[in-house]
Amino acid sequence: MTLIVEDLVAGYGDARVLHGVRLTVGDGEICAILGPNGAGKTTLLRALSGMVKVRGRIALDGAELAGRPPDALARQGVAHVPEGRGTFMPLTVEENLRLGAYVRRDRASVEEDLERVHTYFPVLRTRLKQAAGSLSGGEQQMLAIGRALMLRPRLLLLDEPSLGLAPLVTRELFRIVQAVNAEERTTVVVVEQNAHLALGIAQQAHVLETGRIVLSGTAERIRADEQVAQSYLGYRV
Amino acid sequence: MSSAITSVKTSVKTLAATVPAARWRWLAVAALLAAACYAPFQLAPFHVFQLTMVLVYAVALLGLDLLVGHAGQISLGHGAFFAVGAYATAIMLDRLALPYPLTLPLAAGTAFVLGLAFGVPAVRLRGLYLALVTLAVAIFLGPLLKRFEAVTGGSMGLTLAKPQPPAWSGLAEDQWLYLLTLVVAVAAFLVAGSLLRSRAGRALHAVRDDEVAAEVMGVRLSSYKTLAFAWSAMFAGVAGCLYTWVIGFVSPDSFTVNLSITLLAGLVVGGLGSMSGPVLGALFVMFVPGIAQDINDAAPGVIFGLLIIAVMYVAPTGLAGLAGRLVKKVPRKE
Ligand SMILES: Nc1ncnc2c1ncn2[C@@H]1O[C@H](COP(=O)(O)OP(=O)(O)OP(=O)(O)O)[C@@H](O)[C@H]1O
Ligand SMILES: [Mg+2]
Repeated sequence: MTLIVEDLVAGYGDARVLHGVRLTVGDGEICAILGPNGAGKTTLLRALSGMVKVRGRIALDGAELAGRPPDALARQGVAHVPEGRGTFMPLTVEENLRLGAYVRRDRASVEEDLERVHTYFPVLRTRLKQAAGSLSGGEQQMLAIGRALMLRPRLLLLDEPSLGLAPLVTRELFRIVQAVNAEERTTVVVVEQNAHLALGIAQQAHVLETGRIVLSGTAERIRADEQVAQSYLGYRV
Repeated sequence: MSSAITSVKTSVKTLAATVPAARWRWLAVAALLAAACYAPFQLAPFHVFQLTMVLVYAVALLGLDLLVGHAGQISLGHGAFFAVGAYATAIMLDRLALPYPLTLPLAAGTAFVLGLAFGVPAVRLRGLYLALVTLAVAIFLGPLLKRFEAVTGGSMGLTLAKPQPPAWSGLAEDQWLYLLTLVVAVAAFLVAGSLLRSRAGRALHAVRDDEVAAEVMGVRLSSYKTLAFAWSAMFAGVAGCLYTWVIGFVSPDSFTVNLSITLLAGLVVGGLGSMSGPVLGALFVMFVPGIAQDINDAAPGVIFGLLIIAVMYVAPTGLAGLAGRLVKKVPRKE
């Protein structure tokens, strides 16, 4: 699925956060969004999944998505794993996963996908009847991503999947995202503080600052850019 | 003596260890049902009547729990939908002379449609605002019933003949009414249970736990909030219908704001979001006001209030939560 975003303006009430964002993500690509705190990265993902009011253009394979409500976008195959994971804590792991497939009517393939999610995240299989709130942070993030996969997403939006996780768990998670992307050819937009990891799996990247994209390029180029490394990525090359 | 107790304890332990937890629940439900079927043949008619009313309240609380416990909405007007079911039944029996089995689905349908109509505007409200609007509905209902005297019988209400036991059954009236109510109540719990286990039930829980996340998952918030109102009203309507069958009389004074508030208090005391909560809450609603009266004839309301506070202090998650905690304390073999 090719995602095309043009002149995207979004915000909360009167407060504008995004001031004309423009980006393109090719079919089956992983795109990393980097930038400092408060830049509007989360707001960008919220705009893409219909959670905030937007102006401008968002097209997924030609279908116009801007201005449509979140449930309609879910039906179009947009799966959002929000910052803080959006897990339904009192519900069981299985109920959470099944909720991910809420908009789908094809029961048989939902069972198949449940199985598929278990192969990506074997730990979830052993926790199916457990309340999601009793999972560890890493397991909850896996559940959140697994739940998003249950939608059979065409566009997967990940907001800081590494937040609060141990480095080892984070690496494992990114490896799985990469595997999902390779096997299902799901287009992925990932917002990440850990720029090193995100650039490791992404084909291209954009740096967002105060609601504008200030730098775009292939992941390799962004990684090699010394100035970016210093001012946005927080490490020296 | 003490050795007998120890041996009983060990046999309970082995029993507890051999039977899985889920099966214990079913055993408990089966035992309760057996007792419920046996009760009307052992108790005095007045006590049979009291148990019948417990079942009626349990169905009403089941409906309220769909809205409050499972959908996370609040209603101080549940008594109004209960009244709608009761009056719809009374009017169908009295003015239209319909056979009483027919009044049950029709009363349920009427309440469902009204719940739906009410749920549409209620979707825009939440928390205290929703509480206030539903309270207004409960307040409004009394004068409305009095106003349309030609249909509702005004403040005098309507008196009706109760459903009579068929001659072949050999049952007394109170036993027949009890068994009718039991059958309907069991069916209501089965329907609610399968509703909650379905895709729709999951969506309802998702909306309760995190509206935004539910919406992103594709759940249409407005339709579920509206449906929760309609379902909740439907069960209230069923309970209202049973009420009219059992009491044989409706009047505006039977469905005051007090009823709505007592129902909400009963549900919270019984426990939110479980199947046992409505039953325990119904027992509370039925028997505790009487107990309060026994304790202090002059101010039963004060005692009732104090008892609610006392229960909530001991069992902040309701009686169902307390029962759950006690069951977990039953010794299990490792
Ligand atoms: N719900 C909201 N209501 C009003 N303003 C908001 C809301 N959420 C975010 N903002 C504002 O929008 C701006 C961008 O926030 P956003 O969460 O998109 O940043 P971010 O790039 O995701 O930051 P971080 O890296 O800290 O997650 C901030 O100035 C923030 O204060
Ligand atoms: Mg953010």
